[in-house]
Amino acid sequence: MCSSTSVLGTTLRGTRRIASTGGAAIGQLARPRPTEPVAWTEAEAIRRAQGGDSAAFEFLYQLHGRRVYALCLRMVGNPADAEDLMQEAFLQLFRKIATFRGESAFSTWLHRMTVNVVLMRLRKKSLPTDSLEETLEPDAENSGPKRDVGAPDLRLSGAVDRVNLERSIEKLPPGYRTVFVLHDVQGYEHNEIAEIIGCSVGNSKSQLHKARTRLRELLQEALREQARQERQSAKTQTGSQG
Amino acid sequence: MECRDVEAVLEQDGLSPLPAAAREHLVGCEGCRELLADLSAIVVAAKRIPAEENPPERIWISLSARLEAEGIIRESQAVTVSTAPAAPWWEGFAQWFKPRVLALAGAGVLAVAGGLYWVNHPAKISAPAVANVAKPAVTETQKSSELKTPVPESASPSTPVLSAGLLPKKPAARAAAAIASQPPQIHESTTNLRPSPSELASFGESAATLSQTERAMPSRALGSNAEVDAALRANLRTLNEFIAECEARLKENPRDQLTREYLNMALQQKAELLNAMMDSGRSEH
Repeated sequence: MCSSTSVLGTTLRGTRRIASTGGAAIGQLARPRPTEPVAWTEAEAIRRAQGGDSAAFEFLYQLHGRRVYALCLRMVGNPADAEDLMQEAFLQLFRKIATFRGESAFSTWLHRMTVNVVLMRLRKKSLPTDSLEETLEPDAENSGPKRDVGAPDLRLSGAVDRVNLERSIEKLPPGYRTVFVLHDVQGYEHNEIAEIIGCSVGNSKSQLHKARTRLRELLQEALREQARQERQSAKTQTGSQG
Repeated sequence: MECRDVEAVLEQDGLSPLPAAAREHLVGCEGCRELLADLSAIVVAAKRIPAEENPPERIWISLSARLEAEGIIRESQAVTVSTAPAAPWWEGFAQWFKPRVLALAGAGVLAVAGGLYWVNHPAKISAPAVANVAKPAVTETQKSSELKTPVPESASPSTPVLSAGLLPKKPAARAAAAIASQPPQIHESTTNLRPSPSELASFGESAATLSQTERAMPSRALGSNAEVDAALRANLRTLNEFIAECEARLKENPRDQLTREYLNMALQQKAELLNAMMDSGRSEH
């Protein structure tokens, strides 16, 4: 290839680079960038959201959305209901954000709304025999699950896997379920839980212990059921061979 | 301590270290030992459940739509506020032209390179069609200024500056570079190959003539050098787009002198580019 052509080739590459750079510059000038991260504090985002700033709303949603969704999911056990509840919770939050004065932490305020939304939904679905109030308020005579003194307890050590546990959590009464998920799954302290669900610290501790004890019973029932099925399938196999 | 007391301690203090009395009870009570072990296993398993889950994207989309519908969300305000004074009106126009000028400058460099290539491989056949339209339509402003281009030493006063086939080698390259870098100027001397101002009444005629030349170019004008061919054609497309934008602007505002000058430059460079392309194709064949 002669030198002139190579000079031409080099010039052509340079021309393309100039043209493409210019085009890219125009693209950057013309197109908005809605997903560019912003360096706000939560307080600043709340202030902006109170002014109707859509980016601020999205900032708060991204900041808290994962925990809220996880809470809803653990409480209702299925993604479809969890999505509805999460959307409803944030909708209520953003409708009322102008009234937020900072007396409590924003996350506490948000989780309180979420729990209320979830419990309202569960209340609508609950059977008459399931009393939500009973599970939220301590009762001296009915102080939670009773230990069967006569029946042998199955040891759960090594048998508590995540799937069985999540299934058992879904079977808990809503009040127990709320405190257990907030404390043992999401890591809230009793004083925070008390503020979220509107009870005393002592009540939160009591509900948690009852939840754990009830879960133990449910898991033991699951173990018994599993053992029963294994025995039945073994009998069936023995019968078919014999 | 009784089993009921141990359970009360567990309810009050959770699984934190038990007091001595409770530990003493555990030594002799298998039931309480198993209870403590099972509750510990449940707590350990619970901590393995994720505290956060990624919600589907549709939730935010639906939520933001509802918030907008209710008027809760308004347009996002700018995060940064510029304290600089408002830019003059022509800055926006200049910004629009800036990348195109860069592309145009690139095409001009290309034309220079084409001229260098022509210098090393001189073509014998002239390109009168291209040379005839190289001189743009002259406006009243240009006529009154009557600026002169540098005339090559070895060329006669009547020799056209942009006639690719008739000029001596080096002066042609210098002339092409001079025209590419300078604003449109009046060429006093004319030849048979360079049209007089009266022959080209408007930019539209110049552009049409160039388009005719472009269409008449053989599809394989650049021979076997496919890379060069593709690159030159790409640059030609860039020039054509820029010319079209200038023409559109001039239609809206015929008195836009700056756009007219840019269009003039673009037509000149297109002529030079076509010259280079035709010469390159002829030399390959």
